[in-house]
Amino acid sequence: MSRSANAIFVLALWVCLLTLWLFSGEQFLDLMFAIPDAGPVDDWSLTVVVWFEDMRAGLGVPDLFSALRGAIHGWTGLG
Amino acid sequence: MVFPTLEFVLFLAVVLAVNLALTWRQGTPAPAPEPGPPAARGPGSGPGRVLPAIASRLDARKAFLIAASYWFYAAWDWRFCLLMAGVSAIAWAGGLRADRRAVRIASIAGLLVVLGIFKYFNFFFLSLGQLLGDTFLARDLGWMRVILPVGISFYTFQAISYVMDCARGDIAPRRNPFDVALYISFFPQLVAGPIVRAADFLPQIDRPYVVDTAMRGAAVLLILSGLFKKMVVANYLSVLIVDPVFAFPDGQAWPETLAAVIGYGIQIYCDFSGYSDIAIGVALLLGYRFQRNFNQPYRARGLSDFWRRWHISLSSWIRDYLYIPLGGNRGGVARQVWTLLLTMTLAGLWHGAGWNFLVWGFLHGAALGVERGLRRVPLGPLRWLAVPVTLLIVFALWIPFRAADWEGTLAILSALTRAEGFAGTVVPPQALALIAIGLAMNWLPLAMRDVAEGALMRVPAVGQALILAAGTILLFATAQDGVAPFIYFQF
Repeated sequence: MSRSANAIFVLALWVCLLTLWLFSGEQFLDLMFAIPDAGPVDDWSLTVVVWFEDMRAGLGVPDLFSALRGAIHGWTGLG
Repeated sequence: MVFPTLEFVLFLAVVLAVNLALTWRQGTPAPAPEPGPPAARGPGSGPGRVLPAIASRLDARKAFLIAASYWFYAAWDWRFCLLMAGVSAIAWAGGLRADRRAVRIASIAGLLVVLGIFKYFNFFFLSLGQLLGDTFLARDLGWMRVILPVGISFYTFQAISYVMDCARGDIAPRRNPFDVALYISFFPQLVAGPIVRAADFLPQIDRPYVVDTAMRGAAVLLILSGLFKKMVVANYLSVLIVDPVFAFPDGQAWPETLAAVIGYGIQIYCDFSGYSDIAIGVALLLGYRFQRNFNQPYRARGLSDFWRRWHISLSSWIRDYLYIPLGGNRGGVARQVWTLLLTMTLAGLWHGAGWNFLVWGFLHGAALGVERGLRRVPLGPLRWLAVPVTLLIVFALWIPFRAADWEGTLAILSALTRAEGFAGTVVPPQALALIAIGLAMNWLPLAMRDVAEGALMRVPAVGQALILAAGTILLFATAQDGVAPFIYFQF
């Protein structure tokens, strides 16, 4: 019971992460370029990330994260 | 890699998934056989007999957690990993023969030498340079400057406590070096604590991985409260009021200076307790329970009470491995005060290699000594003053802690008496609101936390994940741009 609940918990977190990636513009791409050179896997990992980013951009989903960020900062006066 | 970043979120998601996969088919293994207490062991427990057995005792989950922890640490500088491996090796070897005085002393001295070189060399080097006029040292030996590995104070203290606990017979030494390596390197508490005791941690690595709904509920609450404390309260207080005033105290008047001093007290509390909350929450998701590191310190009724509530893992470490061995509460009041002064001065030096930290610790020791001397004086109707007076002392002593040098400290103290300033700093209402929130966190009844924890425990796993994800996204959206490192990383 505990084990399957943990699996559901981790799976749900991954789904949320993928949803965040879909609706957060180029945040993940920026992150990948900000990570220091990963040596032999650097080119390969960037190619994979760029491929996924192209796919996401092709879907035309809006950058809801930036919109949320702007709304919160505007409302609170922070940021 | 710091907690409130997308990089760490990705890292944690991978670690949780792989950890789950590695434990999916686990049974209920019998606890690993442990050697008896040091005095009961025979001559065959040295490294020579131990090494062949290592490979068979390194299970996949333990290996993965060690690898993940070293990856986490390497994100700062891969060379630090060599240092941490060395510290782990010294602790492991010292623990195996901690019953022998010479081995015990050599291993603890070795750990202190590591700490001394990497944390205090520059301090003594620069101090010596200033004493000698900073000519020869600065010109010809400048290349000797040593970089400070993040978290070194925390993991060397864990290593020392491991050897000491083995020597005292509080724990049985581990033959498997990977057990000690995991204890020293475990990434949630690696770079800024809490300082976990081996007696609390090591028994947990032998148990099967179990995370029940109560642990997940507590973890969700801890991680979200930690992120809120760090990303919202601490970081915004820093940029809104603390940094501008401490950067230019000469032009400030007393209202903004007072707000900055109180703001720094709240900032450092939220920064550090926020990190501890996230660390304890992440460890819970991996099946490990740590003790709480803060217990509403700004409602303390005295300085000794404050130190029982602030950075509890360090306070108890210092009590057990420094204060009590130095004499503790034995002897007369004068002897006790001397022990307090010495202990707290060294505790101040632990916080950072600088004269301001030394003075901060000394002043805390002096105040604790005064409190010890006044212990038997009846306060009567003045008892209600205990909390505000404690707050006043603690917040006043944060000034040298933050100001970094004497000129800065004196400038802040001077600004606190100035009616008008010319810097044009204004205290924004958001800063006042954040100060109020930070203080309120110290005064809310603990029953409220229990109610929230209880409510989260009753939520199904998918709901717990959604709450954690939604809360994290909201907090990331609220946070300012960029990554503000935790204050305690420098310690």
